[in-house]
Amino acid sequence: MINLAGRDILHASGKFVFTGVGLGLLIGVTLTMAGVYRGMVADGRALLDNSGAELWVVQKETLGPYAEPSSLNDDIYRGIRAMPGVSEAANVTYLTMQIRKGQQDVRTMVVGIASGAAGTPGWPPYLVAGRQITRSHYEAVADMATGFVVGDRLRLRRNLYTVVGLTRRMVSSGGDPMVFIPLRDAQEAQFLKDNDAILQSRRRSAENPAFNRAGVPGLLDAVVASQDRNPYVNAVLVRLTPGYSPSVAATAIRRWKRLNVYTRSQMEGILVDKLIAMASRQIGMFLVILAIVSAAIVAFIIYTLTLGKIREIAVLKLIGTRNSTISGMILQQAVGLGVIGFVIGKIAATFWAPMFPKYVLLEPRDSVMGFVAVVMICVLASLIAIYAALKVDPAEAIGG
Amino acid sequence: MADKGVRIEGLKKRYGEGETAVDALKGVDMYVDPGEVVGLVGPSGSGKTTLLKCLGAVIEPTAGRMTLGNVVIYDGAWRIDDLRALRRDKIGFVFQAPYLIPFLDVTDNVALLPMLAGMANGAARARALQLLAALDVAHRATGMPAQLSGGEQQRVSIARALVNRPPVILADEPTAPLDSERALAVIRILHEMARQYETAIIVVTHDEKIIPTFRRIYHIRDGKTHEEAGEGRGFDA
Amino acid sequence: MKRLPLQRRTLALLAIIVPLLALFVFVAMRSGPLAPVTVTVATVGERSIAPGLFGVGVVEARYTYKIGPTVAGRVKRLMVDVGDRVRAGQVMGEMDPVDLDDRLHAQDATLERAGAGLREAEVQLLYAQTQARRYEQLLVARSTSEEVVGARQQELQVFAARRTAAAEDLARARADRAALLALKGNLRLVAPVDGLVAARDADPGSTVVAGQAVVELIDPQSLWINVRFDQSSAQGLHAGLPAQVVLRSRAGQGLASHVFRVEPRADAVTEETLARVVFDARPAPLPPVGELAEVTVTLPALAALPVIPNAAVQRVDGKTGVWLLVKGSQRYAPVTLGAADLDGDVQVRQGLRAGDRVVVYSARTLTAGSRITIVDRIPGAPR
Repeated sequence: MINLAGRDILHASGKFVFTGVGLGLLIGVTLTMAGVYRGMVADGRALLDNSGAELWVVQKETLGPYAEPSSLNDDIYRGIRAMPGVSEAANVTYLTMQIRKGQQDVRTMVVGIASGAAGTPGWPPYLVAGRQITRSHYEAVADMATGFVVGDRLRLRRNLYTVVGLTRRMVSSGGDPMVFIPLRDAQEAQFLKDNDAILQSRRRSAENPAFNRAGVPGLLDAVVASQDRNPYVNAVLVRLTPGYSPSVAATAIRRWKRLNVYTRSQMEGILVDKLIAMASRQIGMFLVILAIVSAAIVAFIIYTLTLGKIREIAVLKLIGTRNSTISGMILQQAVGLGVIGFVIGKIAATFWAPMFPKYVLLEPRDSVMGFVAVVMICVLASLIAIYAALKVDPAEAIGG
Repeated sequence: MADKGVRIEGLKKRYGEGETAVDALKGVDMYVDPGEVVGLVGPSGSGKTTLLKCLGAVIEPTAGRMTLGNVVIYDGAWRIDDLRALRRDKIGFVFQAPYLIPFLDVTDNVALLPMLAGMANGAARARALQLLAALDVAHRATGMPAQLSGGEQQRVSIARALVNRPPVILADEPTAPLDSERALAVIRILHEMARQYETAIIVVTHDEKIIPTFRRIYHIRDGKTHEEAGEGRGFDA
Repeated sequence: MKRLPLQRRTLALLAIIVPLLALFVFVAMRSGPLAPVTVTVATVGERSIAPGLFGVGVVEARYTYKIGPTVAGRVKRLMVDVGDRVRAGQVMGEMDPVDLDDRLHAQDATLERAGAGLREAEVQLLYAQTQARRYEQLLVARSTSEEVVGARQQELQVFAARRTAAAEDLARARADRAALLALKGNLRLVAPVDGLVAARDADPGSTVVAGQAVVELIDPQSLWINVRFDQSSAQGLHAGLPAQVVLRSRAGQGLASHVFRVEPRADAVTEETLARVVFDARPAPLPPVGELAEVTVTLPALAALPVIPNAAVQRVDGKTGVWLLVKGSQRYAPVTLGAADLDGDVQVRQGLRAGDRVVVYSARTLTAGSRITIVDRIPGAPR
């Protein structure tokens, strides 16, 4: 038995391929939207993985440091380092800044990393060019997505930093590429205002009689100096000795009543549930709409193709073709259209995904689920045409 | 000679019920012997289309009896369970227009029927090619229907009607769109095929060009038929 | 013959489907999570590296003299301004004496009075001595009583004591006067050494308290840089090490210097070690006090050991190590690291040998099971 659906597709191949391409682009868009969502989740996970931490210690009653601002004194890490099970504790600061690059600004997340060696929590775990920071000031490791190259000098606040290394896929949860600088410099950048503001605040202190006492020379200087210092960081990243339970360590640290501690799974929950929740709902709705549109298109095309064959279908029925054979032909055509569309869509999505500004992650299981969904939609869409075909009276072939 | 020949007795067909009922067939008697080609002639509205539909097992008669060979296919109710298989295996159709499947090539158009009946593809195609050769269109075997002339297409459709070696072929105005030369050619082919394959052929027509070629003609009017002897002329124009 | 049409059709179908499927599979395998990881590889060499220490410091004067009055007062006049050079002993300004002159007058008068008092006491003592001697003689001549003699002797002693008292009064008055004079001397702001006026903190007419600086003096020959080194990267810092100083206003110019002293007291709050670095040759022109400088101290070169770039160092499961290439696939090799230099090379004490090949850059995180593709440069990473 020859395959009627296949023959029809070959015969009307132009129409099929044309429709298949259109459907394929639509499917490609759907797969890409799913990829955008996966990319956002992957960005969040990458952020957590790349920090190299097992516990995040943040200001009490905040969901920081990524979801909410959090501020800790920079000497708290010493006490945490001494707690049981903790093998490393490092300060870290995060600040979103626009960095000037030529004529434009690049939006980045500036990460202040504690001094130490490669492998300290907060340090970029792997590089794609250059080296890690060796000096305690004025060096930076930037992500490739910023567009900087090794040897560039970038200006942050009032200092010039030399880019000594490049990373890849180090982004904040919002997709901003990261720039790593020494912690001290980052604290200064986070706090220090422009020179005008500094002069104003010095003037204000000088005018305050509590600070500018004639009988105590040096008091004003001490006050101004203390105002120019920033002893705060955003979080302490903690690594535990292998095998130590993160929740046990976290509970111990939480007993310091002014701190909140999150384990890896809790941080992931915060990032994915809170930060990404809104976007994922939007994408979910979009996917539903796209699925409906795809179904409508397939249904319309198959129905039209079937109606164009009504006479032949009547003849086929008259000369003795079974209803199931005819339905099968229509069904196979619909599924064939869907398969062509899916293959084209997957290829298109793979080729245009890297061009998106945010990370698009096309996972194999999404493709498999998408394929199943496409087939099911095509089956459902073909039902209308099958119904029309079955209703045809073979007697209409006689009598013209 | 079993399973050949058509016999119709007292066939009635009523459309609708009650006061608006229409009696399309009011008791038709007909017979066609194997190898015979008879004409069925009548004005429009006379019921000839209805008679074809009943014979073709696409509508159910109201009363009467139809016998195909020695098998009674209808007497008051269908006696065959699978009417579709009946149509596929036992009845051939030739239409006004060839109605070839446009996306199958000529050979497959003809071979489709035996394939539907379960024959292997290779054997079905072989038989199809045999018939195409007999009908002198074998040189078009690999072409698509759209590439053939009208006459060639008609011959392919005749091959399709014959391919399952049905005992009866119903031809509905097969020569209507053709000129006299082609029309006579088609009728000659039908006569040849009928003889060669011992098939009973009923040709519904009102084409004056071909009516003289029949040996027997059934006239149908108002749902009733009466037999008449035809001229039985040759097929030259 | 009869099979030809079938084969042609099938061939046409295959000609479309097979490349499409191949493209599909290619796409699936080459991108996304199934694709192999591109890495670059370096060969471990044995080299000697010279570690360096880097810190940021501020140019300061070694000695800063804050000249001011020792009592509260008003600035009467200042003869120097910022940037003036002064010599040791030069008078730079004067405080307002206010009532000091009057007090000196008063003190002079007191001194006079004390002097007069002393003279009076001496006269009286002389008289008492004379009287006492006379009566002793009279006693010998039995012309007077013992009692009278005793009384005269008592008077002698009283007047002697009074004389002492008067002498001490005078001394005290003199001392008071000297003190006032010294005070008046302090009203003059005198440069203790040759130097440069760095700041003028109070202008004539302003009131200052005791101890408040009116003029700040520095010795410009004695500039040094007060450098802060991060404590974790200050290993090996000691006096005498050579250093390069890059002043902020002269970027690119390295000035030769050396470490003068490592401060015994570090900054516990900022976790920095403090050190002083002096220029080998005085830079001309002199940098202003307070300018920032970047200081790089070079430590002596160490013995040759296997050296890897610090980009190759990874941390997996709490162990520091590198991804070692063994027969074309990667294996995690824990290492013990030694010293590092400022260019990003770090010694390997244990775990690697010269000639081993290690993964330096990777496009994604590596695991033991990742498939890798070795390239010269990670695509997309320029230079």
